[in-house]
Amino acid sequence: MAEESIYGPYRPELEKIQKELLDDINSLREEIKAKNGMDPVEHCLSRIKDEDSMREKCVRKGLPVTTESALTKIYDAVGIRVVCAFVDDIYKFRDHLIALPGAEVVEEKDYIKHAKPNGYRSYHMILRMHGKFYAEIQLRTISQDTWAALEHHIRYKHDISKSNEELIASELKRCADELASTDLSMQTIRDMIFEENKRTDGSESK
Amino acid sequence: MKLLLAEDTRDLNRAETAILTHEGYDVTSAYDGQEALDYLEEDSFDAVILDIMMPKVDGIGVLKAMRENNILTPVLLLTAKTEVDDKVAGLDAGADDYLAKPFDMRELLARVRALVRRGREYNPQDMSFGDVSLKANEMELSCENSVRLSIREFELMQMLMIHADGELSTDDILQKIWASEPEANEDTVWLYISYLKRKLSAIDSGLTIEGERGGNFKLLDTQAA
Repeated sequence: MAEESIYGPYRPELEKIQKELLDDINSLREEIKAKNGMDPVEHCLSRIKDEDSMREKCVRKGLPVTTESALTKIYDAVGIRVVCAFVDDIYKFRDHLIALPGAEVVEEKDYIKHAKPNGYRSYHMILRMHGKFYAEIQLRTISQDTWAALEHHIRYKHDISKSNEELIASELKRCADELASTDLSMQTIRDMIFEENKRTDGSESK
Repeated sequence: MKLLLAEDTRDLNRAETAILTHEGYDVTSAYDGQEALDYLEEDSFDAVILDIMMPKVDGIGVLKAMRENNILTPVLLLTAKTEVDDKVAGLDAGADDYLAKPFDMRELLARVRALVRRGREYNPQDMSFGDVSLKANEMELSCENSVRLSIREFELMQMLMIHADGELSTDDILQKIWASEPEANEDTVWLYISYLKRKLSAIDSGLTIEGERGGNFKLLDTQAA
């Protein structure tokens, strides 16, 4: 072996946490699918942070590059991103995850109710599993995910002149606010269809 | 209230400027059509008074240039001509009103008041109610967070804010906002009310909209005592 892992001998434990969280997400996903016939999750990504990024993050945070830093000072060794179809589903996953036995909420940031000044929206939380290791979970809708991806492309593939910076920032914010508005409209339309189906199902005896 | 006055007859320009200023308007005076266009380019006004017969660019020319540039500020034309053709040409070019010379100053003031009043309806102002602000140019609804509204949502929100002290019926709303769309019905209104309710909640506002499908609606501040 060339170099010892930043995670020491604990990688299998991290993978176990990752699987535990994914299993929990999948169980709610199946439950909702069975109930209304639609998969609430558009896609779900998960990863153990790769060795180089973890080392680089330790350095950036001014921490010693050790297994201890990686597992107890940095919280995203295990990272999961759940991309949902609708805003309401995000909160269902949030509630389900915090009720998972052995999960303890260390930090929660609702950037959906309180968007970042640049327009970024997402639900972030850090869970400590079984009193030991941490996982970072990001929950967002398809359009929040789209905005984040496109914003990244626009900002990182091109140099933005100082004079344009303000205009571009305010326009990207506008796009985020428009997408958020569309998300809410589509959720409202879905709810209306559900309501209608419920009413007609109720009045028709089979 | 900012007015632009374009009148080439020096004495008349001075007299009109003095009386309008005395009434409390902030008056910018131009002595020919080109000067008026220059002012319009660098500033915005609540109403514009244009003499038709002016050197360089006449009043109709200024008016046409304004409308071509999407400057929708209300315009009052002053004309020495009493020919019907000129009045028709002026109104068709986008004027909101005209006044034939010679005129009584009291009539000028009354017409300017009417023009400014209408202008306020054309150009909606920013509004706020409870913890929510509604920005007209951006069509932005904001509290802790902000979202952008569609034109119909914006108009409905504005109508609810204006009439917050009373109730709006589904019919009132259809007639005002969906006047040009006969296919719109109570379900359309209910869907748009539902959009706004959800968006108010998403920006973490204490406002909500009371009322049921097909019924009356009222904006309610749940945080107000």
